[in-house]
Amino acid sequence: MAERLDNLREEAIGWTIRLADPAFDDWDAFTAWLEADPRHAEAYDVVSLAADEADPAVRSIPREQPRPIVTPPPAFARPHRRRAAMGWLGGAVAASLVAATGLGVWGPRSDPYGVATGPGERREIALENGTTVTLNGGSRVTLDHANPRLATLDRGEALFTVRHDESDPFIVRVGGAVLEDAGTVFNVVRDGGTTRVSVAEGAVIYNPGKEAVRLDPGRSLTVLDGAGEVRLGDADAAGIGGWRKGRLVYESAPLAVVAADLARSTGVPIAVAPEIATTPFTGVIVDDGDRARLFARLGPLLDVDVVPRKQDVLLSPRNRANH
Amino acid sequence: MTSNGLEAVFLENRARLLRFLAARGAGEAAEDLLQDLWFKLSAATTGPIANPLSYLYRAADNLMRDRYRAVRQSELRDSAWQESTGATVVGVSDEPSSERALIAREDLRRVEAALAEIGDRPRLIFRRHRIEGEGQREIAAALGVSLSTVESDLRKAYRAILLAKGAGDDEA
Repeated sequence: MAERLDNLREEAIGWTIRLADPAFDDWDAFTAWLEADPRHAEAYDVVSLAADEADPAVRSIPREQPRPIVTPPPAFARPHRRRAAMGWLGGAVAASLVAATGLGVWGPRSDPYGVATGPGERREIALENGTTVTLNGGSRVTLDHANPRLATLDRGEALFTVRHDESDPFIVRVGGAVLEDAGTVFNVVRDGGTTRVSVAEGAVIYNPGKEAVRLDPGRSLTVLDGAGEVRLGDADAAGIGGWRKGRLVYESAPLAVVAADLARSTGVPIAVAPEIATTPFTGVIVDDGDRARLFARLGPLLDVDVVPRKQDVLLSPRNRANH
Repeated sequence: MTSNGLEAVFLENRARLLRFLAARGAGEAAEDLLQDLWFKLSAATTGPIANPLSYLYRAADNLMRDRYRAVRQSELRDSAWQESTGATVVGVSDEPSSERALIAREDLRRVEAALAEIGDRPRLIFRRHRIEGEGQREIAAALGVSLSTVESDLRKAYRAILLAKGAGDDEA
C-alpha cells in the first residue's frame, strides 16, 4: 500500500500536493511539466478529481481524540419542562479546528473580510438568499466572499438564520470548533474562552468530524477552551436570540453568564463579585433601551446590589441591611 | 483589487494563461475558455488580491478541473444509462439517481477503508493538508516531524485514494 506507483502517477501526485497549498506560485514549472507530455495533464486531472471526491471522507478523519460528552442529570422536578443545570468545568485538551474550503471556480480558496460591532451595537448581515447573521454588541464575525456558506465567530454573540442545504451545509467556526447547520436558527456565543451554542429551530452538529454532537431545538452546548468535556443543556427555544428584541431568557444560568450577555447587549461593562458569579438565575430580563430603568430593576430582579463604578457596573451580594 | 488592476494583469499575461490552458488540455478551445474565464472573473467582486497572477492561474486551473469533472460525470451517466437501457439518451437529468447516490456512497466507503489502512499520522497529515489547507512546513512544525516525513505521508494518502478510486472504476 505504501509502495510507489508508476512515475507518471507519482509525478502527478507530486504536483497535486504542491498545488493544494494555497500559497503555490510556481506556475511556470507546472506549465513546463504539462507541456513535456500530453499524458501529464490527464494524469494530474485523474489525481485531482480522485482527491476532490475523497474530501468528504477526509473531513471525517478526527483531528484529535474526541472528548467525552456530558449531560448533567435533571434538576429537581418542576411543574414545567425538565431542565438540566449547566455546570462549569475545567480540563486539558485543546479544541480542534476544521476548515470548510469552498473551491469556487474563480479564484483563491478564500477571500475573507471581517464585520465587527461596537459595544451595545447590533447589526444584521445578509449573506446570501435566506441566510442572515445578526451580530450582538462587541462582536466580530469573519466572512468569506468566496464562500457565503462559511462564517467564523471571532468573539461575542451572533444569531444565525440559515437557508438549509444538505449538499452544501453552512459552517460556523468558533473557538477552534466547527458547527455544521442541519436546520435553520441557532445562537452562538464566544466569550473569553467559552463557546456556547443554542438551537432555536432545525439542528446544528457540533464538530462533525469529532464529537459530532447533534443539537436539536431547545438544546444547548457549552465548551470551555482547554476543557476535557463538552456540556449539554437545555435552552428555551423561543427565547434563543431574544437579545435581538432586547429580551434575555435564562434558566439556572450563572450570574457571570447573565452579566456577560447584558454587557454585550447594552455596551456597559458589567463585573460580578466572585462569591455570586455562579449563583443561578431563572427569569427574563427585558432591555427596552431605557438603560437607567434596566439597571435600576436589575438589583431586585437578580437579587444583587448594582454598584456603579468608574470603569464598570459591579453586581455584588445583596446587602439586606439596606433593604 | 479594482477590476482595472486585475484586467491589467490579465491582459499583460494573456499569452501565458493561454499557453497554460492549452497545456492543461484545453487544446483548440483554449481561446474560448480564456474569454469565458475573463467574463466570469470580471463579474465577480473580490477583496484585495495579494498575488493577482497566481489568482488568475488558479482560476484557470479550477476551470479545467471543473470541466474534467463534468466530462467524467457525463461519461459515467452515459455508460450507466446505456447499461440499463441499451441506448444513448440526450439530456439526462443532473439529479443523481438513487443508483448513482448508492455508487457515490460506496466510493466514499472504499476511500474511507483505504485511508484507514495508511496509519494515524499519515491520515492526520493528509487531513490538515486537504481540509485545513496547511502548508507542508506548517504541518511539519506543528507535528514536530521533518518535511520529508510530511511529503512521504502525503504520498501514501494520495496513493491510497488513487488505488481505491481505481478499484471502484474497475468494478463500475
